Amino acid sequence: MNSLDLIYMGIKNLWRRKLRTFLTVLGVIIGAASIIVMLSIGFGLTQAFEDQLSQWGSLTNINIYPKWSDPGIPGGGNKEVYLNDEAVASFKAIPHVVAVNPIVETYGTVINGKYITSIPIRGIDPKVMQDFGFEIAEGRLLEVSDEMTAVFGGQVAMSFYNPKATVWREPKVDLMKDKLMITLNPNYGWSDPNLDTVNYKSYKIKVAGILTQENYEHSYAVYMPMADVKKMIKDKEKAENQKPTPNKGKDEYQNITVKVDDMNNVKEVQDQIKALGYEAYSLNDQLEAMKQTARSIQLALGGIGAISLLVAAIGITNTMVMSIYERTREIGIMKVIGASINDIKKLFLFESALIGLLGGILGIGVSYLLSFLINRFGGSFGNFMGTGLDSKISIIPIWLVFASLAFSALIGVISGYYPARRAMKLSAIDAIRTE
Amino acid sequence: MGDEKIIALNNVNLEIYKKEIVCIIGTSGSGKSTLLNMMAGLEKPTKGEIIVNNMHLENMNEKQLTKFRQKNIGFVFQSYNLIPTLTALENVSLVLTFRGVPRKIRDKKATEMLKNVGLGNRLHHKPSEMSGGQQQRVSIARAFVGNPKIVFADEPTGNLDTKTTFEIMDLVTSMSKELNQTLVIVTHDNEISRYANRIFHMRDGKIENVEELLLKGDVVN
Ligand SMILES: Nc1ncnc2c1ncn2[C@@H]1O[C@H](COP(=O)(O)OP(=O)(O)O)[C@@H](O)[C@H]1O
Ligand SMILES: [Mg+2]
Repeated sequence: MNSLDLIYMGIKNLWRRKLRTFLTVLGVIIGAASIIVMLSIGFGLTQAFEDQLSQWGSLTNINIYPKWSDPGIPGGGNKEVYLNDEAVASFKAIPHVVAVNPIVETYGTVINGKYITSIPIRGIDPKVMQDFGFEIAEGRLLEVSDEMTAVFGGQVAMSFYNPKATVWREPKVDLMKDKLMITLNPNYGWSDPNLDTVNYKSYKIKVAGILTQENYEHSYAVYMPMADVKKMIKDKEKAENQKPTPNKGKDEYQNITVKVDDMNNVKEVQDQIKALGYEAYSLNDQLEAMKQTARSIQLALGGIGAISLLVAAIGITNTMVMSIYERTREIGIMKVIGASINDIKKLFLFESALIGLLGGILGIGVSYLLSFLINRFGGSFGNFMGTGLDSKISIIPIWLVFASLAFSALIGVISGYYPARRAMKLSAIDAIRTE
Repeated sequence: MGDEKIIALNNVNLEIYKKEIVCIIGTSGSGKSTLLNMMAGLEKPTKGEIIVNNMHLENMNEKQLTKFRQKNIGFVFQSYNLIPTLTALENVSLVLTFRGVPRKIRDKKATEMLKNVGLGNRLHHKPSEMSGGQQQRVSIARAFVGNPKIVFADEPTGNLDTKTTFEIMDLVTSMSKELNQTLVIVTHDNEISRYANRIFHMRDGKIENVEELLLKGDVVN
């Protein structure tokens, strides 16, 4: 018997008992839809966690800090490691790393006429700004050719104040147009300039642009080319009469950020960096814990859905067994006139698989509808968690659609297995004897 | 039923030749159907041999028996045993479906066969829309459509009136002769036995005597 005839015959048999087929399929629809919707809520939850975390910084970034050296504990066999150009090179060599961003950070004051603000000054490689998610709101990002040029964080403008004023007034600053100066004098604006023993330099700076306010990490800082910041630090050290420390055996950077190509590779890269002897952190650490929570919730929800699918599976078995009782004679006749036991088995398996598949297809349709309604009228997780983020409650990933189709057909086959064996083993001669 | 042993067939020995028309006659319960079912590979004997065309049926498993029946055997039953949800054409072509014959060819063959049994104008009727005689004609078409070597008929006219009985018997015997087939008919009706070359008389699971009526065919076993 060829497959086309088998399919045709199977469909015809199901069509013959439309109502019962429909009711059985309905069971599968409910089962499949409840699993899909329940799981989709779990995915929504995971997504909401991710959205929330990505507000705190990029999920594909790994931050590397200088190692806390504890002289009491012997190095554990590890050689001493420092955040220097050697470290930058070794991070670049790790697979999945797309960009490395060493940062020199110092603290200083930006002067805009009578207004000032004291903020972190970060030296950055202009080439990697784009990679590390710096988004410009006004102007442009830094370019390699820039000198003494700054890009301001999105909230910097609001932090200016007049140190001489007794009442706070909203500062009138336009960073893009105003003439700006910068100094590394830690006491600027607080101490009497005439009493200063140290002669700190002030530098004129140009402004390239202002960042968006999306990313908290970048909001309150000034970004300038690495070389400029290094030079200003050197000047400061000279002014303070410090001996310039040799670069060897010293952390040259306050922090190095590594960008990984995909969120799923973050852990692997992070582990490799740790193995090199550095302290490495990523939001992935928190994300893992949050995802674990989401998974547990999803498992519980999925379990509820699974029960209804189990009931549906029993429904299929029941329908097929009933069908065998009704068709005993027919099966006997088919066997006598030449149907092989394989044909009979395949026919029954196909019918039950089709019930499963049909239920799966319609179940997916129903799931999408339910998912839409939940998202439309159910608010968002952001509201529950107070993050104000508009993440969906129910998310159906495309792979879940295909998995559901395969799974519901499989449920059909499994449910039909016992009835099919029964039909197969039916004695032809006994079957046609029953009047 | 239960522990009581029923001996349906006891010490039966018979040979049927190729292209022969044989009749097995006996009272109800004498074991005719049991014998026929065994020769067709539908039932297994507790003891003994069934040899068809040099093949030992008693040693075959279910799979081999299906294959054997598919290739060699056609059936006509007293109660027609048509599938009620299928039309005459579908019932006949079903035999070929199981052999994997493509739809076009099998429908053509089935139509031809139904025309041969005089049902050219009833192709798309369901069994419930036909008389007993017509249903039995469909069942005959079904038995012959696969061109089997042997056709077994178990009381093919048991549910029919006298006139139809003769029509059906004429049809079955002429078709099997035309197609050079062996025909084994089970009946309790003496009139019918006249169509046979040889008649086996059965009583209580035994063959009482064999009656030769006409020339027998080649010996094949
Ligand atoms: N499935 C069965 N179980 C028990 N006994 C059976 C079965 N089939 C037939 N018999 C018995 O075997 C004997 C022969 O039956 P059968 O071959 O049908 O006779 P016939 O066809 O000549 O009327 C009868 O006594 C009948 O009761
Ligand atoms: Mg009988």
